[in-house]
Amino acid sequence: MKGLFAVALGVLTAIGGFLDIGDLVTSSVVGSRFGLSLAWVVVVGVVGICLFAQMSGRVAAASGRATFEIIRERLGPRAGAANLIASFLINLMTLTAEVGGIALSLQLASSVAPGAWIPVAAFGVWLVIWRVKYDLMENVTGMLGLALVVFAVAVFLLHPDWSSLATQALTSPVPAGESAGTYWYYAVALFGSAMTPYEVFFFSSGAVEEKWTLKDLAQSRLNVLVGFPLGGLLTLALAACAALVLMPQNVEVTSLSQVLLPIAQAGGKLAVAFAIVGFVAATFGAALETGLSTGYTLAQFFGWSWGKFRRPTRAARFHLTIMIGLVIAMGVLATGVDPVQVTEYSVVFSAIALPLTYLPILIVANDPEYMGEHVNGRITNVVGMVYLVIILVAAIAAIPLMIATGAGA
Amino acid sequence: MTDEGERLPRPEYRGRVLDAALHLLDRQVQDVHGEPVQTADDLEIGDVPVGESLEGAERPRILAILNGTALSTRVVGGRPPSSTLERIPWRHVADVGTAIRLTIEADDVDATWRERWVRDHIIRRIPGGRHDPE
Amino acid sequence: MILSDLLGVPVTDPAGAPLGRVADARFVLDGPLDGQLAAARLFGLLVSPHTGSSFLGYERRTMRAPYPIAVVLRWRHRGIFLLRWEDVERVDRDGVHARPGWTRYDATID
Repeated sequence: MKGLFAVALGVLTAIGGFLDIGDLVTSSVVGSRFGLSLAWVVVVGVVGICLFAQMSGRVAAASGRATFEIIRERLGPRAGAANLIASFLINLMTLTAEVGGIALSLQLASSVAPGAWIPVAAFGVWLVIWRVKYDLMENVTGMLGLALVVFAVAVFLLHPDWSSLATQALTSPVPAGESAGTYWYYAVALFGSAMTPYEVFFFSSGAVEEKWTLKDLAQSRLNVLVGFPLGGLLTLALAACAALVLMPQNVEVTSLSQVLLPIAQAGGKLAVAFAIVGFVAATFGAALETGLSTGYTLAQFFGWSWGKFRRPTRAARFHLTIMIGLVIAMGVLATGVDPVQVTEYSVVFSAIALPLTYLPILIVANDPEYMGEHVNGRITNVVGMVYLVIILVAAIAAIPLMIATGAGA
Repeated sequence: MTDEGERLPRPEYRGRVLDAALHLLDRQVQDVHGEPVQTADDLEIGDVPVGESLEGAERPRILAILNGTALSTRVVGGRPPSSTLERIPWRHVADVGTAIRLTIEADDVDATWRERWVRDHIIRRIPGGRHDPE
Repeated sequence: MILSDLLGVPVTDPAGAPLGRVADARFVLDGPLDGQLAAARLFGLLVSPHTGSSFLGYERRTMRAPYPIAVVLRWRHRGIFLLRWEDVERVDRDGVHARPGWTRYDATID
């Protein structure tokens, strides 16, 4: 168990990136419409986030500087502020979606309407951020989120035709009835969500919270190499479940309860119970990640004191920011908006935030004044540059694709 | 590094070199215990007489690290009114690394009055705010 | 004055011909002790002929990677040089003016 807890930061970070409420539904949508033909995007995304999360963790361990501090330092106030606004809006939209997502998950467990759960969910998130020690928080949510492994188990229980799944994943055809535009829209959306910037904000700030130093580089690498591939694997399992059960029946996935249908078919009530625990933990974990990230980004840009390792009076504006974020989230949800839809539009802001986040990380990871002898190696830099180009292309393509396809409709 | 590929002469530096924008601007400022205080939003340097010959004049020094309104004008342009600038005098700087370390405590820095206000009027009054997380 | 008053302003030679813009201000800790550190005194201005934008740290010799980023930034800042403060005649609303007999120094640091 101790070994498992050592990678809790990576697991929790990956849950927020790959398995938040928007991703839970999107993965099923993608599976039910495209089968596994977009699996390659998840693989590309996992490699990318591993690469940059590890860089951000290494910068934090070597210099004590979290990612938004280096964004401000290297890009200056203008480009830094542009990134801050975009990233902050992504955080806030995702936080809103997650608070709603916790309520939707609790509704599945209790059949009490989500409206009643929203204040409870928001209060719970705040209480954990306010009072619970960092490692307890990441261990509990990270471990409970692993209940989603039930989706991977379900794939086996559904006795799929493995060779046809493999063919789908490897040849990546655009399915009949889908246009190339929607295919690429979902490709960009999946990629953007795998590499969503709050993962590196959270991971690097978590490294500072846990007081990592150069001695912890191996642990950082382990967190990255366990957490993100696990997140990617569960994304693929969700998509495969949907491809096996929902695609043949032409079910159009629009809600969280439909995501459970394949699980019910494969494993009955017990499996559904596991999945619901996983939903609650994953949305709660994603809410913690995005809630804390609203505080991290703002505090690090302005140089305020931040961190859960300090008592709240020693990081006053950091905690106030998070409280305001949660109040805004409740206000938005009170309008009755569908939480799943809220995350869809964060793709627009990712177009600004992704390049302006990953460029400074790549540059500072090469700066000997920060890194000493732990600067990037040649291979890391080559792959990093390739990804920077992919990120740029995805960022430029995101908004036109979104408009052209009506957000993948 | 030059167009012509010629080697320019290198001057002799009799001390540590700090390029203001590179090493100081936008860096995190920490107090004596490592607690974040602010970012270095701008620097106040000794006056240069405008339009006059600098013959024989002393080299301007860094007088203070600035905070607050100095940031907004760097984003949107213009010039901050001098009276609204919050200063940390250079004599309080202990070291410049990936962060700028001070010799004094965060609470003794004028620029942290907003942090102290939020702490005293909001955070301190919420139960549990004064304790370490459990 | 504040540092932003110097950054980005145009620099001209004694005849009034443009030399570039101030990309950074180089200080050296060579003054009398001021607290724990020596006073930081203005040594000179980094003048970049083609851009007033940031060099992102690549003015240092030790900063070489990733190669494509280093190449692009060094190209944007090609011809950058150090104008020592003692070679500055005056500063006015039009910018910084070099004095006759000024020298173009190497801008890089280690």
